[in-house]
Amino acid sequence: MALETTEIKRRLSGVDVLTRKKGLLISPELCIGCRGCQTACKEWNKLPGDRTSNRGTYENPPDLTPNLYNKIRFLEVTGGDTVKWLFVSQRCMHCTDAGCMKVCPAPGALYRTAEGAVAFDRNKCIGCRFCVAGCPFNIPRYDQEGRIAKCHLCSDRIPYGLQPACAKTCPTGAIRYGDREELMGIAKEAGYKTVYGTTDLGGLGVLYAFRERPSYYGLPDSPSFSPTIALWKNILKPLALIGLGGAVAAAAAHYVTIGPKEVDEGGEE
Amino acid sequence: MMKGNLIEKTTAWERFNHWVLAVSFLILFFTGLGFLYQSLNWINTIFGGNHLASAIHKWTGLVFTLSLILTLGSYFGEAIRFTSEDSKWISSLGGYFSKEMEPPPQGKLNAGQKLFYLIVVVLFGATSAFSGFIIWLFPDSRGLILFAHFLHNISYVVFAFAVPLHIYLGTAANPGTFRVMTRGTVTAAWAKKHHGRWAKDMGIE
Repeated sequence: MALETTEIKRRLSGVDVLTRKKGLLISPELCIGCRGCQTACKEWNKLPGDRTSNRGTYENPPDLTPNLYNKIRFLEVTGGDTVKWLFVSQRCMHCTDAGCMKVCPAPGALYRTAEGAVAFDRNKCIGCRFCVAGCPFNIPRYDQEGRIAKCHLCSDRIPYGLQPACAKTCPTGAIRYGDREELMGIAKEAGYKTVYGTTDLGGLGVLYAFRERPSYYGLPDSPSFSPTIALWKNILKPLALIGLGGAVAAAAAHYVTIGPKEVDEGGEE
Repeated sequence: MMKGNLIEKTTAWERFNHWVLAVSFLILFFTGLGFLYQSLNWINTIFGGNHLASAIHKWTGLVFTLSLILTLGSYFGEAIRFTSEDSKWISSLGGYFSKEMEPPPQGKLNAGQKLFYLIVVVLFGATSAFSGFIIWLFPDSRGLILFAHFLHNISYVVFAFAVPLHIYLGTAANPGTFRVMTRGTVTAAWAKKHHGRWAKDMGIE
């Protein structure tokens, strides 16, 4: 019953995504680097551990993997004679204007949930990896079977009133789940200059409370996907259908107006 | 070569390879259409769903590429020989838009066929094949994939415009022409009308 409702909601998605959008608010300054979120995510999504080697840092694994949807990046920022140690959660940003969804050729492999997140159906993924190329944040990973794997904002928890596993387990409130609008208000009230993701890419589902420029935290200052994607989606794609229809129509029109080049076989036979 | 009243315009090999190219193209074009538009994704249901359609698209691409390379021996030499009769063919628009503007006698391939072969088949055929193999073989290089995806789609648009016209010109627009790709032979009257200089070279007055 509940599942059917979710399915209906999913089909209705795409309409005023931003106002309904739920998301996360990441506050790097509250993060203590415990990585409970990494573990909770793995636990909920039944993802195995990755074998890694000691790189001389507490940060582990070194990058997102098909088994790691959410990762705490450890950044050492030196300025003057101080060193700042930053912990920044890295995962799918659930863009409203999502490059991955634009380029995906397999309908339903990436889909918008009722809560405005970008979720995936690995059975529908055909393994082309266009989404990797289309993502401004280099997030999607592919598993051994060549299927997409990434954060789906616990799309199998939040329709049932649960919060995402990472937010649920976070002991300091560095990852907070809620209505996107509400989260932006919380960040502003707490006195953060920048709420990263307010307007970027149509509004990100994962917001960051920053005191410095985004690049300070290792994120692009103005994230965007390649202009060729927009050119393709807005111009080339329609042009293909116009071309096909136009050429067929032009041929038909030519046939009935000017007509074919008949060969007079009379004298030859 | 004369065969009774008929003249051979294409060899059996040329016809065979043309159909390999044509059928592989149509498979690629329609599976591509199914991937391009969500609303046309039902096309790929006919091809056995997206997974099978994807595999069919890739391997058919290989057949298309090989067939494309093999056409070079058949048409390339003739297509790059551009003469004044070709410019006149172009300035008279091939005689397709007015019965009064008759282009001068053409060789074995007319200017339109030469341009179609060189630009659409060779240039954009190679572009789509090249970009397709990048997408297939180098899925991990993000920048390269975007570039290839773009090229793949530009050539798709070119095909969408040009190929229906090619099919029309080879069938309904020019009665007697479709034989060239089925039986390979044409009548003397057809040869004189459409490829006058070639007909003369073949000894038809």
